Amino acid sequence: MTALASALRDLEAIVGEENFLTATQTVSGYQIDGQRPVAVAMPGSAEEVARLLRTASEQGLSVLLRGSGTHLYLGAPPTPIGMVLSFARMNRLVEYDAEDLTITAEAGTTLGALQKTVGEHGQILPLDPPGPDSATLGGIAATNLSGTMRMRYGSPRDLVIGLRVALADGTVVKTGGKTVKNVAGYELNKLFVSSLGTLGAICALTMRLTAQPEAKQIVLASLPPPTAAEAVRHLLSSRLDIATLEVANSAACRRIARALPVTLGPDRYLMFAGLMGDRESLPRQESEVLHLLGPGAARIQGEDADSAWAFLRNAAFPAAPGSVVARLSVPLSKTLEAADAVSSWDGWWAVARAGSGFLHAGPVDSGDLADVNQRLLHLRQTAQELGGFAVLEAGPTELKREFPIWGENVHDLDLMQKLKETFDPTGVLGCGRFLQGL
Amino acid sequence: MDKRALRGLRRAVGRHNALTEPADLLLYSYDSSTARGMPGAVVLPASTEEVAAVVKVCAQHGIPFVARGAGTNLSGGSAPIRGGVVIALSRMNRVLDLDLPNQRAVVEAGVVNLDLQNILAPHGLQFCPDPASQKASTIGGNVAENAGGPHCLKYGVTVNHVLGLTVVLPSGDIRRFGSKAEDAPGYDLVGLFVGSEGTFGVTTEMVLRLRPLPESTQIVVAFFDTLEAAGGAVSRIIAAGMVPAALEIMDKATIEAVEASFPSGLPTDVEAVLLIEVEGLEGALDGQAERCASICRELEARSAEIGRTPEERERLWSARRSAFGATARLSPAMLVTDATVPRTRLPEVLRQIQQIERKHGLRIAKIFHAGDGNLHSNILFDRDDPDGLRRAEAAATEIFHVAAGVEGTITGEHGVGAEKPRFMSLIYSREDIEAQRKVQRVFDPAGIANPGKVLPEPEAAAEGTA
Repeated sequence: MTALASALRDLEAIVGEENFLTATQTVSGYQIDGQRPVAVAMPGSAEEVARLLRTASEQGLSVLLRGSGTHLYLGAPPTPIGMVLSFARMNRLVEYDAEDLTITAEAGTTLGALQKTVGEHGQILPLDPPGPDSATLGGIAATNLSGTMRMRYGSPRDLVIGLRVALADGTVVKTGGKTVKNVAGYELNKLFVSSLGTLGAICALTMRLTAQPEAKQIVLASLPPPTAAEAVRHLLSSRLDIATLEVANSAACRRIARALPVTLGPDRYLMFAGLMGDRESLPRQESEVLHLLGPGAARIQGEDADSAWAFLRNAAFPAAPGSVVARLSVPLSKTLEAADAVSSWDGWWAVARAGSGFLHAGPVDSGDLADVNQRLLHLRQTAQELGGFAVLEAGPTELKREFPIWGENVHDLDLMQKLKETFDPTGVLGCGRFLQGL
Repeated sequence: MDKRALRGLRRAVGRHNALTEPADLLLYSYDSSTARGMPGAVVLPASTEEVAAVVKVCAQHGIPFVARGAGTNLSGGSAPIRGGVVIALSRMNRVLDLDLPNQRAVVEAGVVNLDLQNILAPHGLQFCPDPASQKASTIGGNVAENAGGPHCLKYGVTVNHVLGLTVVLPSGDIRRFGSKAEDAPGYDLVGLFVGSEGTFGVTTEMVLRLRPLPESTQIVVAFFDTLEAAGGAVSRIIAAGMVPAALEIMDKATIEAVEASFPSGLPTDVEAVLLIEVEGLEGALDGQAERCASICRELEARSAEIGRTPEERERLWSARRSAFGATARLSPAMLVTDATVPRTRLPEVLRQIQQIERKHGLRIAKIFHAGDGNLHSNILFDRDDPDGLRRAEAAATEIFHVAAGVEGTITGEHGVGAEKPRFMSLIYSREDIEAQRKVQRVFDPAGIANPGKVLPEPEAAAEGTA
């Protein structure tokens, strides 16, 4: 028996034959950037995950963690994948007491399922990452993706208060806990959140919830870029407590233009101010925002507002497999300058998350990859000049092979490598998709 | 202290900023906890580079070092229990960059929290973390402890508001983690460093997120005949879908202490006072405040009033902020704990703490950030009573067990420091603690950064287990 065959046999014994897939046809459904895993394991518990990781680590078999696969476009093309470790079966609700405003669930729980559970108690997990609600909590934490409510509620980094993590040495550890305030020991939650499955496998998460806002709506206005920038400045420094502030260029808006009660010219931005709150405060927020944005501003509610929110949320989600999406992170006041740089190009869409300093952008048609590559380099330079950086979040495999998706000069790589060696000494976790092969 | 090391320290910060007189050393031998240790030298660097030079000397000679802000630490985090060098950051108190358009401030570690708030307020901005010690405590200390404060309920803790750090690693290397822009690719070294209690190195500068001040705030004050009823009101308010900015409870012992030292007009014949702060837009708060007040009345509050004026609000908050100092005046000595529990477990935990009080014949003054289950049990004892400290410590130990028993934590905001490493095993397994130790060793393989804090000694890991 070959070493691989013997490793596979050991792994299969951990989860059972029915939860261990090796048939070519089946595992093909799990390929990423053209790489097909040798096997797919579907563990049922954190202990099984830990045993899988230990065996894989001992046998030098590379492991790629998978929730529902919605965000696997993130990351460099993987090195050969030994095993995909799927959390499809680990979707149980562990503990939810509404009065605690926290919830604990297994990593394979989908965002949609969680929102449904907490929604019945008038609560939400204030996260709306791009893509469908089939995204899993483990995946959302590993990628630290946030959405339209970022400026008010933060990212998974802010909302995760406890984790159960399976490590490559076969142990399962708890980080953090169940209380919102907890300074006992080091904040290892922060280490695993946003580490793209390269340090350990998040098996369960405890997260902060918040009360559902009583009411929400969107005020939008079509504005020339300088006016939009001015309005952003005003809204950010106001005390109106805006929940969402996004600015889309005309190429981005073409996708939803028909559904909106404003007309969009080629040299105009569409600004969305999302308001959330109680019925007492919303009318005043609305009238002040309308006043600030001028006579062209309009409010949308109900289904129209929902579809606008969905558009904003999904702007950063690749429209089709292989679509190019770049993310620029810049200091808050520079977001629209970044948008201007992109909007000067024909056929490039841009949506600025102006309350958090992010800009998502990409070509409407990414046919000419050499050109796209050049422009991405230009965008990265622009971001750096504005005091930030750029990441290629999604793109065709060819482009991801060429373009340094996470950036080139990563600070403190030595410390990150030491952390990686500490938790994954044989380097089997993540298949080299994170920056500089971490 | 080794003569060559001392020469090195003097060279690093200048002769006048390296203290070795016993009287000076004594001043830096303790913080606001019961931990003590005599340092070999105290240095007062003026820049990150000077801190790095000091740490290099320490690294070269294998001398432990402890960074110190204002010394308000309540867990012994800034006490030099293993001797060595105290790096006092009080001279590093400049706001380096007040970046209003980007809503960021870059400050040195020794900037006092309240001083920063006072600089920000005229611009309509705030730095959200507001520990009760904010008049004295420094941002560097807030970051090292991942400090909380009453307003965490709405805004989260310190780490949620820190985007970048300049640190001196225990090797003497200067590093800059994070920036004004968010979500840099790579591991979250900023998040990891915040709350590491000075054991990963010395944080010298920080990039902070600022937020607009709320336009308006209102405070509801309710008095209850039982602590449980006050706790019940907190649960109901949360369940009703409101997220006040703060929900604070003080018990009878604390109210009496406050009234004795800083009279604020609180009645001393009630068992609990609940302070609820709601904030938001002017004119939009009456409904929320009224709903909170009526929930209190439904739970048989003796009274529930809405304080609408800024003066009223300030009077009540200063009563709350002075509670710690006032309680300390009640008794010659006080052991401070801040166990934190899931908020729904508060009523049963309170009952158990009252039993502990009776069992040990001690008075425990209770102040809590009830909205997030953070329970400050201040155990009063008489240091001259030979058995006093022992009984107080026994009571504290039992409180930690109670918190651990309901899936709470041994510290919500004060830190583990020197006082609680032996209780870590109440809430973490050996493997959990080993994972933390591995991270600590990545940053400080030689173990010279604030040794003896946070993690139990490897061989002592089993102590304290129930």
